[in-house]
Amino acid sequence: MIDQFLLGLSVVLQPEILMYAFIGVFIGQLIGVLPGIGAITAISLLLPVTFYLDATTSMIMLAGIYYGSQYGGSIASILLNLPGTPSSVVTCLEGYPLAQRSRAGLALFVAACSSFVGGIVGVAILVLAAIPMTIIALRFGAPEYAMLVILGLLAASLIGTGSQIRSFAMVLLGIALGLVGADATTGYYRFVAMPEMADGISLVSLAMGLFGVSEIIRNASRRSPPGPALSITMRDVLPTRAEARSLVLPIVRGSGIGSFFGALPGTGAAIASFMAYAMERRFSRTPEKFGKGHLPGLAAPESANNAAAQTGFIPTLTLGIPGDAVMALIIGALILNGIIPGPRLAVDQPELFWGVIASFFVGNIILLLINIPLIKLWVLLLRVPYQKLYPVIIVMICVGVYSHRTSVTDVVLTLAFGVLGYLMKNYRFEPAPVMLGFVLGPLLEDNFRRTMLLYGGDFTIFLTRPISAMLVACSAVLIAFAVWSGVSAMRKPVHSTP
Amino acid sequence: MFKKLLAALPLTLALALPAAAQDSFPDHSLRIVHGFGAGGNADTVSRILAEEMSKGLGQPVVVESRPGAGGTVASGYVTKQDPDGYTMQLMVGGHAVAAALYNQLPYESVDDYTFISTLGQFPFFIAARAGEYESINALIEAAKAAPGTLKIGHSGVGSTQHLTGELLDLRTGAKFIHVPYKGGAAASTALMGGEVDVIIDTGTVIRGQAEAGVYDILAATSENRWPDSPDVPTVSETVSPGFDVVSWTAIGMPADVPDDIAERIRGEVHKALELPEVQEKIGDLGAKAGGSSGEELKALIEGQIAVWTDVIDSAGIDKR
Repeated sequence: MIDQFLLGLSVVLQPEILMYAFIGVFIGQLIGVLPGIGAITAISLLLPVTFYLDATTSMIMLAGIYYGSQYGGSIASILLNLPGTPSSVVTCLEGYPLAQRSRAGLALFVAACSSFVGGIVGVAILVLAAIPMTIIALRFGAPEYAMLVILGLLAASLIGTGSQIRSFAMVLLGIALGLVGADATTGYYRFVAMPEMADGISLVSLAMGLFGVSEIIRNASRRSPPGPALSITMRDVLPTRAEARSLVLPIVRGSGIGSFFGALPGTGAAIASFMAYAMERRFSRTPEKFGKGHLPGLAAPESANNAAAQTGFIPTLTLGIPGDAVMALIIGALILNGIIPGPRLAVDQPELFWGVIASFFVGNIILLLINIPLIKLWVLLLRVPYQKLYPVIIVMICVGVYSHRTSVTDVVLTLAFGVLGYLMKNYRFEPAPVMLGFVLGPLLEDNFRRTMLLYGGDFTIFLTRPISAMLVACSAVLIAFAVWSGVSAMRKPVHSTP
Repeated sequence: MFKKLLAALPLTLALALPAAAQDSFPDHSLRIVHGFGAGGNADTVSRILAEEMSKGLGQPVVVESRPGAGGTVASGYVTKQDPDGYTMQLMVGGHAVAAALYNQLPYESVDDYTFISTLGQFPFFIAARAGEYESINALIEAAKAAPGTLKIGHSGVGSTQHLTGELLDLRTGAKFIHVPYKGGAAASTALMGGEVDVIIDTGTVIRGQAEAGVYDILAATSENRWPDSPDVPTVSETVSPGFDVVSWTAIGMPADVPDDIAERIRGEVHKALELPEVQEKIGDLGAKAGGSSGEELKALIEGQIAVWTDVIDSAGIDKR
């Protein structure tokens, strides 16, 4: 493994390839910052350029855009509450409150470092355990996915900061919104008011509207917006020693969760970061601090989504099967170069295979190096008065959302979700559970119904397949734990923290 | 490779300049609209073609993705554009499926178009895990022996892959369970993991696994053996004589484009298709590049609408 990794390094350290790796992560970072423009748009625009490059270089560049955008996505989330990707929704939860408390620099620094560690752990898993991870991933069939999503929903049921009932209602709203579109099992249209909605509501519209646009409306309706007083010395950017120590375990846990979920085709970074966040909150001794700018709640999901972005390449590289739409694009670029990706890729094209993996390692270092100095610049952005900044952001959101599917409907929906998000906030309903329901609901329905179709409607299948049974057991333990802690909290009405 | 990039630069610049007005058409940029996601096969084919056509037309050709409802959003949009020759649509086999599958479409699938030319055609392949079935005959026999047990994974309800599986049921009398996945890659994962027994999909999904010895390709769905896989038998020559499913990509325009403009575009499309690098790229995507006349394309689409209408009615698939 190590020899092969060194072979990969020797490929990626050639100046020309290194340059394209840099271009890739830099564009990715940039695209990630711009609200609404995702890695897919960027990669498809750059696809023709790869006609002139060889396969290895193309893949290194396109992959760089992908994981670079994961870094960039957290910047807009922290500074402006604008989640560009579903995984950065979780970043908003703790990052934006930090920025509002004039600690944007610290939040960006922690996000960058957690992302870096997560990314490197992801690469390490990719190098050392790609084959075993592939075998596990292949054992995940429809029943396993269905049970995994149930576990995820249970674990995340505490994700809102308000009351449980409200948070539950918002998960249901998210699931309802996720139902819009063609039913995957029968093809029936559900709640399709116009043809543009046949493929469902765009995730970008929902995230941009509920988080970004609603925040802008909120700020505009305030008399004196909370323009944070800013000082940007290095001391404000660096965490204190105690803070740094409190982040070690969350980052380790986040990286682990992210690495695992990333390797499962079709789940990916979003679920990983939701799970990591929920896990931190579950195991924290101070759960009441979450939602108000708690650093571990920022570090864990950040490391998770970047680890997942790297291990997401496992099925792509070992099987030639794209885990999501971005991977499908990257594989498309390979095919256009005459390389048919498949299980023989590592054997037939070792330079390509290991070069790409080594480029992840190098790319993460480049990203860390360009991110730290940029922090000061990003924080300066907050000095721009709101009334000047926000019109620009609204325009950028609209352009970004439109560019996804060339659809005016999506733009209108984004603004409508903005109003909805504003009303929700006013009545103390949290937007994060809506996103969770929206992402996980359809996944659960799809896999549950596929299970029923595959196994003739036999419910016991969930208990007779080992991995599925294990997941059911985990869910049961979670429920038991919640009931037990609920009961003991009732016995001890005054909760004391150690 | 950097040199190649540099070499392409002046060309790109030249395209950005206003073209010398030797002919009034085209005097501004053209566009190819398609109804699928950015970066999918339709998008890639559009971009390959756009690049070559812009050289011949002396104007930029922009690719526009308007995804939604199996491509019908884009069709509804294109058919309402001016027939001035500046708007093209990259059409795919799904156009004929949609005509059969949807109760109501915001356009007429044949009459609202000026058909330009096909770009390429491709068959589907039927694949199973290596060593499980000796041949397509063995698969169909096993399916007939135990009706309603063998599972075909396909890339979505109403996809051409799905309907091809249903057609196989109809023609051979076998009874498969048809299991929908989100896209061919997910179906392929399911085959690999043992969740389904067979998949029907394009060469791009199947061939890499077959070359690695993970899958056996049992049959091709085209009536005659496909030129780049001469060893793969067809469904037609084994279990169902006359079975012929070939999907395609093509260029169409809104109805009533003036003949001389349609002819000009057709000429450019055919010119691009003759280039070896274009043929090679389309070949890499699993298709055989080949142009046609407008009438040929129209006949192809009408024929397929008839076949799919029959399959959807006979298989009892709900119309939308």
